[in-house]
Amino acid sequence: MKRVSLKITGAQGQGVNSVGEMCAKGLKRSGYCVFGYREYMSLIKGGHSSYQLDVSHERIESSETGIDILVCFNHHGLEQNAPELKRGGIILHQTPQWTFPAETEKWLKREDVTVMYLPVEDILERLEAKAIFGNVLITSVVWSLLDRPIDDLKALVREQFGRKGEEAVRMNFACIDEGVAYKKQHAPTARIALPDPDARRWKDCVLVTGSQAMGLGLIHGGCRMYVGYPMTPSSPLLSFMADMQNDAGLVIKQAEDEITAAQMMSGAMAMGTRAATGTSGGGFDLMSETVSMNAMIENPSVFVLAQRPGPATGLPTWTAQGDLLLAVGAAHGEFPRIVLCVSDAEDCFRLSAEAFNLAEEWQTPVILMTDKQTAEVLFTADPFDQKQAAVRRGRLVTKAAELAKLNGTDRFDPSAKDGVSARWLPGSKAATYCMQADEHSADGSVDETKENAVAQMEKRMKKLSAIAKALPEPEVLGEGFGNGDSDKGKIDMLVVSWGSNKGVILDALRQLTSHNSHLTAAYLHYTYLWPLKTKRFLEMAKRAKKIVLVECNQQGQLGLLLRQQTGVDITDRLLAYDGRPWFCDALVAGLRSFLPKR
Amino acid sequence: MSIPLMTGSGSSMQQYRCANRCTWCDGCGDYGIWTAMQRALVELKIAPWQALLCYDVGCHGNMSDKLLGYRFHGLHGRVLPFAAGAKLANPRVPVLAFGGDGASFSEGVGHLVHAVRSNYPITFILHNNGNYGLTTGQASALTWQDQPMNAAPNGIPERTIHSMDFLFSLEPTFVARTFSGDIPHMTKMFAAAIAHQQHGFAFVDVLQACPTYNHFATHEYLLERCYDCNAEGHDPSDAAKARQLATADTSKRIACGILYQRTDLPHFYDRLVPRKDKKTTPAEEVEIVDTGKWLKRFT
Repeated sequence: MKRVSLKITGAQGQGVNSVGEMCAKGLKRSGYCVFGYREYMSLIKGGHSSYQLDVSHERIESSETGIDILVCFNHHGLEQNAPELKRGGIILHQTPQWTFPAETEKWLKREDVTVMYLPVEDILERLEAKAIFGNVLITSVVWSLLDRPIDDLKALVREQFGRKGEEAVRMNFACIDEGVAYKKQHAPTARIALPDPDARRWKDCVLVTGSQAMGLGLIHGGCRMYVGYPMTPSSPLLSFMADMQNDAGLVIKQAEDEITAAQMMSGAMAMGTRAATGTSGGGFDLMSETVSMNAMIENPSVFVLAQRPGPATGLPTWTAQGDLLLAVGAAHGEFPRIVLCVSDAEDCFRLSAEAFNLAEEWQTPVILMTDKQTAEVLFTADPFDQKQAAVRRGRLVTKAAELAKLNGTDRFDPSAKDGVSARWLPGSKAATYCMQADEHSADGSVDETKENAVAQMEKRMKKLSAIAKALPEPEVLGEGFGNGDSDKGKIDMLVVSWGSNKGVILDALRQLTSHNSHLTAAYLHYTYLWPLKTKRFLEMAKRAKKIVLVECNQQGQLGLLLRQQTGVDITDRLLAYDGRPWFCDALVAGLRSFLPKR
Repeated sequence: MSIPLMTGSGSSMQQYRCANRCTWCDGCGDYGIWTAMQRALVELKIAPWQALLCYDVGCHGNMSDKLLGYRFHGLHGRVLPFAAGAKLANPRVPVLAFGGDGASFSEGVGHLVHAVRSNYPITFILHNNGNYGLTTGQASALTWQDQPMNAAPNGIPERTIHSMDFLFSLEPTFVARTFSGDIPHMTKMFAAAIAHQQHGFAFVDVLQACPTYNHFATHEYLLERCYDCNAEGHDPSDAAKARQLATADTSKRIACGILYQRTDLPHFYDRLVPRKDKKTTPAEEVEIVDTGKWLKRFT
């Protein structure tokens, strides 16, 4: 697969994201699949941040460590990121009189890297344009370096800035013309060739972050209320839901703390609407008592847990998968819960709606996991399917005739099938009950007898085995390297993982198998993480010559759970815990190291 | 006030009657609050299925299964956000929250601050007996400073929070004070506080006798000092006077009644721009929403 990557670097607030987003949109519309990855620091202005776009005419779901075009808003990018350039790459910068250290200079020459200086300030001054126009000027040079038709860029700029008036459009166009002319004059041969576009495949796709897809999914699934407390990387979801509130008629509350957020969500769900809350690890710690409470009062509840590296404040703006055991084990007492994790935009949309269904069907907490990588990566995704989802509310009783027949003791009836008893809402004309967080009898009266304690514990825990039966097994994913022969024969390499690693694993396996035509590989992707399904894992493990666990944590937490539940210990592991996601080339190299040497 | 105690046509106390026996100490103020609350609900013609009663954890929380109605008994200190979330999901249902002075001024004090500030349309009944009863008599933030208590044999070193001064600093829209030994007065205050949900957050401070652990503000002590300030002509719209009455020295007389009320501010839900002109409640709106119309902005 031919892939090209460009990386825009600069201080936060300089326009890195604007240029990145404009390029991403333009390229997607031209018929490319774009994968956008941001790195930044926990500060507002300054620091060193980057926006990397990996581009192909085929599906691309990962970043590479090597880059073809490096755009530098300041000299930090020149110093730090120049060594990342691939052979024949291009550096576009705007630092006057910049010289590289001799060593670097030599290396760049050897690697045939073109260094192009763009005097942004001079050009803008000549045009009498404000500094903000620098973004479109830089974009136009990048556009030329990629040899894309300039009219495409102009059309995009007109669409984005048209509402600011004809004068703004004129100035933008002037900047574009200047950029194109400058490139033609000063670096006429510099070019990074993109593969031919596949407009039919990509141009109608959406470019969304995982957080946006998740927000749309929640709304799609009937979410009417979102309560949160700012904490990266869950904040983009709060912001997106807040931005959608007027369009979607939502109740949005930025609460005073995460405990409040969790309790407000719980109250709203108890009253019969669909509400969600979201946080990251530290905030989830605060919510955990509420998770336990919802299990006890058998209240459907949805907690979004967006992971970042811990412990403590950790690396606030970086990614990790270190909270799987937290999600599975958080909160006191024994109770059923469902833990699932999104992996890409389509998952974010579909599973966010599904989380509500699971919560209501099983009347218990659902922890919907994501991470900084999924939350902030820009995905190219097919427009979301609006037809597939349905609202499933389990044993919720709303019809007057059925309500009239209920007794208060139906609410927590210990003999209910699978432990799921009838649920009806405050305000319904029916017998009443107490949502009792003390151990309680069937109508929610406090009951401390041993017989009742056993009956109610068993009622709730019956759900866990029923949920385990109902949830889907992990998926075997792949294009020709797994699915085709997944029922018979040996597999050279079985990769086991979860969450945001899905995309990069698929990209890496495609690359690995395309270079080794004799190699058979499969990827076992865990979406539902608790209760843990093990049947397919055991089947696949038997057929695999080599099993490799890939995770973004130090202990291999999914591996620990699999070992706990199956006794199978995956000893070949690729674990990243540096705050970065897996990059495609690094993963290919890592996986290759487990293959027999030829 | 005339409330039929036995079954008949319309509302009656009987509707709220529950088979579980009360478990409070003899002479506990919770009996009076329990009775007055049922009377207030009946007087307002609210049937058990029409309201949600949310209890914090403490002695008062043991009321959660001693009457009927949709009820919630959750975590210590956290009753207010649960009640607020429930109310926002279905503003048509009257939502009441009950909490003790222990939880409300320590573990849950942040929630109280923001509930008042948010002006959620709910009613909060503070069971104020000046100590942690259910955990056997520790000092709360409202216990007098030098009072020896469980876990504080020398009295607590911390200063006592002046609860009314604190509350008024948050600019509440409804503050009442009443006494657990005066059922008719409590009934009136509770009814007024429930009615105030159309305007916002109603705070009722119930001075409550705790015969087991509170030997300083006893039933007799409170009985001798509490008086009805509205009967003496206090106008609840007079903010300055209200604060003065609420924070006055209580060693001789304690002003009870509706101390303060303003009805000119919209409550939290009414301030939500996306909910303007909506005829349905969020609880009625659970359905699949086609988000296709918003996808264009991402293409």
